[in-house]
Amino acid sequence: MATFHLKVLTAERSFFEGDVDRLVVRTTEGDVGILPRHINYVAALGIGGMTITQNGTSRLAAVSGGFVEVSQDGTTVLARTCEWADEIDVNRARAAQERAKQLLAHKESTQKQELAEIRLKKALNRIRIAEK
Amino acid sequence: MASGNMKDIKRRIKSVQSTMQITKAMELVASSKLRRAKERVQNSRPYFNAMYDTITRISAQSRENTVYGRHAAVKNSLFIVIAGDRGLAGGFNANVLKLACAQMEGKNVKVLTVGRKSQEFFGKRGYHSVGDYPGLAETLRISETHEIVDQFLDMYRKQEIDEIFLCYTEFVSPLTQEARCIQLLPSDFKKAENEKRAAATEYDPSPEAVFESIIPEYLYGVLYGAIVESFASEQSARRMAMESASDNASEMIEDLNLSYNRARQAAITQEITEIVAGSGQVGS
Repeated sequence: MATFHLKVLTAERSFFEGDVDRLVVRTTEGDVGILPRHINYVAALGIGGMTITQNGTSRLAAVSGGFVEVSQDGTTVLARTCEWADEIDVNRARAAQERAKQLLAHKESTQKQELAEIRLKKALNRIRIAEK
Repeated sequence: MASGNMKDIKRRIKSVQSTMQITKAMELVASSKLRRAKERVQNSRPYFNAMYDTITRISAQSRENTVYGRHAAVKNSLFIVIAGDRGLAGGFNANVLKLACAQMEGKNVKVLTVGRKSQEFFGKRGYHSVGDYPGLAETLRISETHEIVDQFLDMYRKQEIDEIFLCYTEFVSPLTQEARCIQLLPSDFKKAENEKRAAATEYDPSPEAVFESIIPEYLYGVLYGAIVESFASEQSARRMAMESASDNASEMIEDLNLSYNRARQAAITQEITEIVAGSGQVGS
């Protein structure tokens, strides 16, 4: 089966590198699946899951922000934060969820509300992926 | 008189020794911090190289009509200056601050400081500061750069500032660090050389939208990278400074020991002479 080269990088570490069968990421427009010989493609990432299929087995990771780029040289995911499902600290995510909810309940400035909403989304995403 | 001299020398040896102990300890601390900082720099570099490649390719495709495009006239410039939190690091702080000042000349400047030394420097000289972020570098996480970047991007969008520069110290090798000043916005990526490769790329939903959401991403990355590089530079500059200080101290101790021994011998010789002269007189 055809494979393509995938690199997943964050500012803090090189998260994943290898030849994979398929990649599914959540862009700002929705989930996008990338197979070998995909056209050159660039999209910004939203908050969601990323599934990497390698040798027929899939691994799930939580991603928030960043972008994905497909070119002839390979596919690169530059993520703001990225962690495997089994690495997620669920308790921490739950605490973050609580904090964000409280912030939302306070109804402060719109800017703070937006920030809290993003935090809440991130926390929910982490919990969802960790429990899958 | 001779014994007084000996005492002086002894005291100086002691003080140099205790200074040397401090410089030795600082050297060790700096080198262990440097090791960690170097690792962080190496981990972050692939990300930035990939980021830079992508953004140059995209900027070749999108027109300059985004909110991050060039402003009509340059009235206010923002300088982000990254220096250390502590002194005693050789020329590290002075170099980057000097470079920043040279670049600022003739401009209407606002500063945003990272690091205590930078904050003190510009605070004392009465620059208009839009934000100070001391004590951030050592345990920096990428999420901490968001607040800083969002702050100045917001100002840029509101046209309160028209260009943004970043002054930091690049970690070239453990022996060389280079103070640098780069322009962040408006961004001028080398367009021509990438035009061919960008030809057949699909953007979701559009090049402009992608570009606009990638610019903040890029700036988080650049700022993170610059702070991490500066921190590694600071540690290696400090390690070198402390190493040469320790070397100087041990050299000085050697010299002082020599003159101490000389003074001691001179004192003994004098005593013997005195005794011999005295006994000669008693005997006669």
